[in-house]
Amino acid sequence: MNSTSLRVAPRAWIFDKVLMGMAPDAYVRSLFTPFNLVAALILAAGVPAIIYRFAYGLGAVTNLSQVNPWGLWIGLDVLCGVALAAGGFTLAATVYIFGLKEYHAVVRPAVLTGFLGYVFVVIGLLVDLGRPWKLPVPIVYSFGTTSVMFEVAWCVCLYNFVLFLEFLPAALEWLGLRKAREWAMRLTIGLTVFGVMLSTLHQSSLGALFLLTPEKMHPLWYSPFIPIYFFVSALIAGLGMVIFESSLSHRLFRSQLDPHAHVDLDRITLGLGKAASILLFAYFFIRLQGLADSQAWALLNTPCGHWYLFEMFGFILLPCFLFAYGVRHRKTTLVRVTAAWTVLGVVVYRLNVSIVAFNWNVATPYVPSWIEILTSVTIITIGVLTFRWIVNRMPILREHPAYREAH
Amino acid sequence: MIPHDFLTLHTAKTVEYLIAVSYLLLFIPFWRFVNARPKPDAAAAAVARPAAATQWFTLPEGLFYHPGHAWLRVEGPDTVAVGVDEFVGKLVGAPSAFRLPRVGAAVVQGEPAWSLVVDGRSIDMLSPVEGTVVAVNDAIAESPSLAHQQPYADGWLLKVRSAKVASSLKQLLTGRLARRWIEDVAERLHGDLTPALGRVSEDGGVLVDGLARVLQPDTWDDVARRFLLTEQRADSAAGAPASQGGHHA
Repeated sequence: MNSTSLRVAPRAWIFDKVLMGMAPDAYVRSLFTPFNLVAALILAAGVPAIIYRFAYGLGAVTNLSQVNPWGLWIGLDVLCGVALAAGGFTLAATVYIFGLKEYHAVVRPAVLTGFLGYVFVVIGLLVDLGRPWKLPVPIVYSFGTTSVMFEVAWCVCLYNFVLFLEFLPAALEWLGLRKAREWAMRLTIGLTVFGVMLSTLHQSSLGALFLLTPEKMHPLWYSPFIPIYFFVSALIAGLGMVIFESSLSHRLFRSQLDPHAHVDLDRITLGLGKAASILLFAYFFIRLQGLADSQAWALLNTPCGHWYLFEMFGFILLPCFLFAYGVRHRKTTLVRVTAAWTVLGVVVYRLNVSIVAFNWNVATPYVPSWIEILTSVTIITIGVLTFRWIVNRMPILREHPAYREAH
Repeated sequence: MIPHDFLTLHTAKTVEYLIAVSYLLLFIPFWRFVNARPKPDAAAAAVARPAAATQWFTLPEGLFYHPGHAWLRVEGPDTVAVGVDEFVGKLVGAPSAFRLPRVGAAVVQGEPAWSLVVDGRSIDMLSPVEGTVVAVNDAIAESPSLAHQQPYADGWLLKVRSAKVASSLKQLLTGRLARRWIEDVAERLHGDLTPALGRVSEDGGVLVDGLARVLQPDTWDDVARRFLLTEQRADSAAGAPASQGGHHA
């Protein structure tokens, strides 16, 4: 009898946890949706492309060169990925350090977004770097202590670990490991403080990378303040992502939400929108300081200058006032749309720095190849699929009924 | 002519200082803009003048109050607006949802007309008027906390058309009577809840929102029903299936 129950238990466990209580055939049938079809097509094309890159090297698949060694993978997958994942430490600090408990409902989705964001940043970085078995080298024995890259490598490695631990309670609740979860919960404050320190360091260090190449950067985007710009724009992108993604998640995963524990998402949205508005206002002025410092006023009336002005006014000042107007008049839809626009603005800024302004004056400017674009889209798709897989199973958007008291 | 290096640097620094000072000066109006609420319309402004009946609750003049803590504002010969008073928020905190009747539904004075949901617990409230619901505040569905933040202005719940506005008003409290009533309610709250409240009042402090939840974490919904006059109804409804006809805001 005992042996029977032992045989049955793992099967029941898999149905319950992994297949969400469905029989295997029902689960497979549930996978046939238009979204999954598009995702499958992307993966079918993208995964072989990634394998091809590792087999034949960067030269075979990218338009990178000695002149343009950093392309779309660094610009989008790494620089933008890290910025968009900044919601994790921003919200964790808001709730656990500053004590604004009303934002508790969006901490877990923000931490999960941060965790997956960083995991896929590392994957994107590995695709760019190649030779993944060399990944532990800067951590284990080759200490390049004068290199910004060394600091970024350590910070991202440690922060990945911190985000994993911050995410752990949700996974342990899902697995029903109560004791381990209690232990993990005790680490929350310490992890949050550590996470804020690490994020401040490496978010700004990613900007500091560009301090090494002043002669390669367009003067409108080059500034000694780039590390500050990267840090502040990461906070803005983090808030924008949390607003945008929480409203999207609450729409897409409506079945996840407990109607009796209704979260006033509008209030959270307006509060985060106000913070984003104030940050954008300050960010606009510190960007102006960079312009005054570079004295590149004459370049404003060039094609690059027009694009710079469009970024400054269209992606910074405009969303700043749209957020302010939306918060003042309690227009949550406007705040959500503005959040998406703001996230796009930060992506544009990072791509401007890493691609548009970088090597702006060389004879053969860099344009990514189709395989580079396909690879980036594939990595983002795998990230979205992983997010969905976790949210569908673990208590991310809802509280686990057994742990409600604990929150 | 090439300007002298020193002068060039001087100009750049001047511009930087000007930008920094402009930021500080412009931040003041910006901060005020972000934090200010838009001016309420004339009708709401008329009732928004707070007349503090006690230190704790505001009861604007010009409104009519039902002892179940609903208010009524006359908006036309046969139309009234209905909402919940500030006491409700002080008692249970910001609701997470309202279950409001649909447009066209009939409401009866003194009978349960809607319920509010706080912490997953649903509490009925009584209608201050008899008539037919002609409008439901969509903003409440979007943001239930509006009824807590601006209970007498944008936080209204229903518009009701009633042929019996005049007779309904006779049953409601206004002016000096309403102030006496809220003072009595405050006194009862003082006595009913734990002695901790006594210290709050003697200090002249401000009541925290959701007082009942703070002081009676297990039975706060019973306390709320007692003050909102739906206690017996909840008892008699116990065991019966929940109403399905509501519009879950």
